[in-house]
Parts: sequence; structure tokens; C-alpha cells
Amino acid sequence: MRAIVTIALREVRGMFHSPLAWTLLAVLFAICAYMFNAAVISYQIQMLEYQSYGMHGSLPLTERTIAPMLGNAAVLLLLLMPLLSMRLIAEEKRQGTWPALACSPLSPMEIILGKYFGLLLFLAIAIGLLAIPPLTLYAYGTPDTGQFLAGLLGLFLTAAAFGAVGLAASSATENPNVAAVISFGVLLMLWILSWMGNATGGGTEKILSYFSLLNHYQNFLIGVVSSADLIYFLLLSSAGVLFARQRLMAERIQG
Amino acid sequence: MTETMIHLSGVTRLFGGVRALDRIDLEVHRGEVMGFLGPNGAGKTTTMRILSGLLAPSAGSVAVAGVDVLENPVEARARIGFLPENPPIYGEMTVREYLTYLATLRRVPGGKVRAAVDRAMERCGLTAVTDRLLRNLSKGYKQRAGIAQAIVHGPDVVVLDEPTVGLDPIQIREIRALIRELGGEHSVLLSTHILPEVRMTCQRVAVIHQGRIVADDTLDGLENRAHGKSIHYLRWQHPPTPDTLRQIPGVAQATPKEEGWLITANPESDPIPELVRLSAASGWDLRELTPAGGSLEEIFLQLTTREERPEEGKEAAA
Repeated sequence: MRAIVTIALREVRGMFHSPLAWTLLAVLFAICAYMFNAAVISYQIQMLEYQSYGMHGSLPLTERTIAPMLGNAAVLLLLLMPLLSMRLIAEEKRQGTWPALACSPLSPMEIILGKYFGLLLFLAIAIGLLAIPPLTLYAYGTPDTGQFLAGLLGLFLTAAAFGAVGLAASSATENPNVAAVISFGVLLMLWILSWMGNATGGGTEKILSYFSLLNHYQNFLIGVVSSADLIYFLLLSSAGVLFARQRLMAERIQG
Repeated sequence: MTETMIHLSGVTRLFGGVRALDRIDLEVHRGEVMGFLGPNGAGKTTTMRILSGLLAPSAGSVAVAGVDVLENPVEARARIGFLPENPPIYGEMTVREYLTYLATLRRVPGGKVRAAVDRAMERCGLTAVTDRLLRNLSKGYKQRAGIAQAIVHGPDVVVLDEPTVGLDPIQIREIRALIRELGGEHSVLLSTHILPEVRMTCQRVAVIHQGRIVADDTLDGLENRAHGKSIHYLRWQHPPTPDTLRQIPGVAQATPKEEGWLITANPESDPIPELVRLSAASGWDLRELTPAGGSLEEIFLQLTTREERPEEGKEAAA
């Protein structure tokens, strides 16, 4: 446990010592803040129209401002996470630092979990940042806190799954760029899997849409936290972690 | 001195169909510095990677300080420190952060980490640069940091893969002194292809060639082995043909080396007077005549140039 924490903390430190992490956070925050702003302005216009018809009450605030922003944040993370996760293992091999870790008395699982938790820590920071713009809404209205929190949780789980896929890709190659391409390809495929589902219909549709990341994430955005979705993300993340662990074990044999 | 700290037995490693190591046997005792010699590509690095747990052998058994590397890899790695050819350093960390990180990973108890790091830095001459970023250090200091990480957790066995490559002469001297000092407390396996380095640092030498151990002996033992055979290095302005050389009575072997020839004499007769006489008479213009027999370099050359008869070398090792 001590080893896992040590590796995770070094990983986060390493990320913040590179301009990549800062740039990534800045881009993510700027774009999400912009999108949120646009959503709020469009909500205001819609409310004015709504009220001009003499209707009372209001349109659902959270669903029209926070949810779209979080939805777009996931797409952004789909693009950005491979750039962050590609370094996890491949970069150590390329820089020649890998033997320092691999020759330490650590099991492959400890190394992988250390790396993965480091990435999750970074994600928690990133998602904490993304929570700031929606918080400003509380000054002017009453957002649905439950839906907001469910959305944040969904975004974290989705990004964590992205990271696990990226970790697996990073363990499969010594070239970080190749790792990024692999993980981006796999993630995009998982994201759009439901498109095919709509066209095929029947049993295939069910299977494909079950595996689609997008479908599971959308439940969180409408405020539904179901065990089926939680299990899906847990399975996907575990699969990535286990794959990476297998790779490390196989590496000693294949050389 | 007799406790075996590194034990390799029948270690074979295949890469695809290529046999990189072929039934390697090697033992290093407690407190010993063992030189691991061999031409480039002979299998030194592969052996060291297997020893440090980076690579699994295809066959054979490996034990570090009595712990089987295959059965109990994590425990075995706690007892070994490895410096690969390129020091595994994180550029964005300071020397102290780096060593603290690795000491923690290598199970140095929390309260003792600081002392262990201080000691490693002191032994490796890093005290002047403790708070500098590794990426800004010179090659020599990076190499020292690499050695420091290999000893920071007080391992029984230290494995160093060509630790002096790329250093300037002063740095080389310092690193060698450090390696000598490491023996005694740790058992050291030192890979190199620089022969004087072995003479300066090692008590025992193993020579690996084409994936086989062709010699495993003390330095004196190796040099005695060449005794009785007289070897000389001769260089001429106008050298004769190899065949002419080999036909001179008393010449057992003539091997080209640099610009001249290494002449091995038959035990019963000395070809040198005849060689000198012929050099003068035939106008070969002798420029250099140096006794070369028994030097580590000659032994090394003899062991590693008999490519067509590796079996003989195997017997010699046994």
C-alpha cells in the first residue's frame, strides 16, 4: 500500500512538473467554461421566450446548463486523456527510468495501481476545476444538486475508464505516441458503439449499446446513478488495469 | 567469504530462436567484486537483466542472496540493486527526492529513509548536489545518482552494467574507487569491456562469449593460466605474410593485433631470436617487440576469438 501511494504521488508530481498537465487543465477549463457560459446565455434567452408566452415556472436549469457542459467535457477528455495516459508506462521505458521501478520489490499490480491512482488523482483535480463554473449558478438560481453531483461522478468514472484504457495502451508499447493513438482509437470506438446498435436492431443492438460508453454516461447526466452503470465503469476500468498488469508479467518472459 | 550471494545455474535465454545465453553458471560470494567481461553482444546485459528480475530466463535457476528469483521475485528484488547501462533517473526530481522515492519503494522503513538517503549520497559523492534537479547534472553526477539508487536500500547484491562508459578520466577513477569500496559490504557484479577496470576493481573475473561462460577464475588464476606460454607483440615496418610467420620454428600461433602481430611460442622452443634475426636479414624493419604473455588482454582475446571451438572454452571454464 505504501508503495502504491508513493508511486501515485510521484506520478501526480511528475505530471505537474511537465507543461502538458498545466496546458491540458487550462484548455479543458477554458473550453468548458466557454461552453457553460454559452449554455447559460441560451438558457436566459429561452426563459425570456418561455415567459413571453405567459407561462409560469421555469425551464429545467440543470438539464439545460450543467448537463450539456459535462457532456461536452467528456468528449474533450476523450481527446485529451490519451495524451496524458500515454506517458504512464511508455514514457518511463523511453526515458530509461523503467528499470528503477521494475527492479524494485514491487508486484506488477502495485506498479500499475500506483500509476493508475496517480492518474485518478489528477482527474479528481481536473473535475474539481470543472465544478467551479456550475457552482456560480447557485448565486442566481437553484440548480438540482443531486443531478449536478451525479453528473460529476459520471464524468469522473468516464474519465477513469478512459484512463484505464490509456494505461493499457501505454503498457503495450514503448512509444508514447503509439499508445496515444491506440487508446484514442479504442475510446472513440467505445464511444460511438451505439451508433451501429441503432442500425442493426434486435439482440445486437442491445449488446452494442450496453458496451457503449456514451449510453452509460448519459444516465448520470440526467441524474440517474444506477448500479448497472457503476458496474459497467468498474468493469471497464478493471479490464484496463488487468490488461496492463498482464503486459508487465508477459514482458519479463518475452523480453 | 563463502556465502553465495549470486547463484546462476544453467541459465538459458532465448530471444525468438536466438540463444542469447546458453547454460550460464555463475557464483558470486559475499563481499566479492566480480568482473563480468565479454565483447559487446556476448550476453552481459541479458544476464544482468535476468539477475535483477527484468527478464525471466527460458531455463535454469537464479538466486539472489539465497532467494529464488523465479519463485519469489519480489523478495529477490528487495535484495538487489541494479544500475542499467543508462542511469534510470527522473530529470524533474532533485537528487534527494529521487533517492527518497526509491528508498521508500524499496522498503526502507519510514524513519530510516532520510539516513539511508544521506548515506548513499555521501558514499557516492553527491552531497554537493543534493537539491539540484537531476536533469541539470553532468553525466558523471547522473551516473553517481544511478549508483546511489542501486545501493540506497542496502541490498546484498549490486549489479552494475558498464558504470564508467562515457565518463571523463577523473570521473572514471572516482567511480572505480567507489566500486572497490562497495565490495566488502555488498557483493558486486560489474560488467565492462574495459580490461584495466577489472584489474583495478575486481577480485574475480567471469568471461562471457557468445552466451557462454568461457572462464571463471581469480585474476591471478587467469594470468597463471597463460604462464608457460610465451606471447610477444611484434610490429614491423614491412610485415611478412602470416604464412611466413607461422612457418618460423617455434611459432605456435600468429594473431594480428592492431598494426602488428601477437606471436605465441611453442613451450619447447623460443622463436624470438630467430624472428629478430629474420627481421634484420629480410628487411622487415622490426619496430616493436613487447612481451605480452599473461596480460589480461591477451587472455581475454584468446578466450573470445576462438569462435569455431566454443566447446573448448567451456571445458577450460570447468
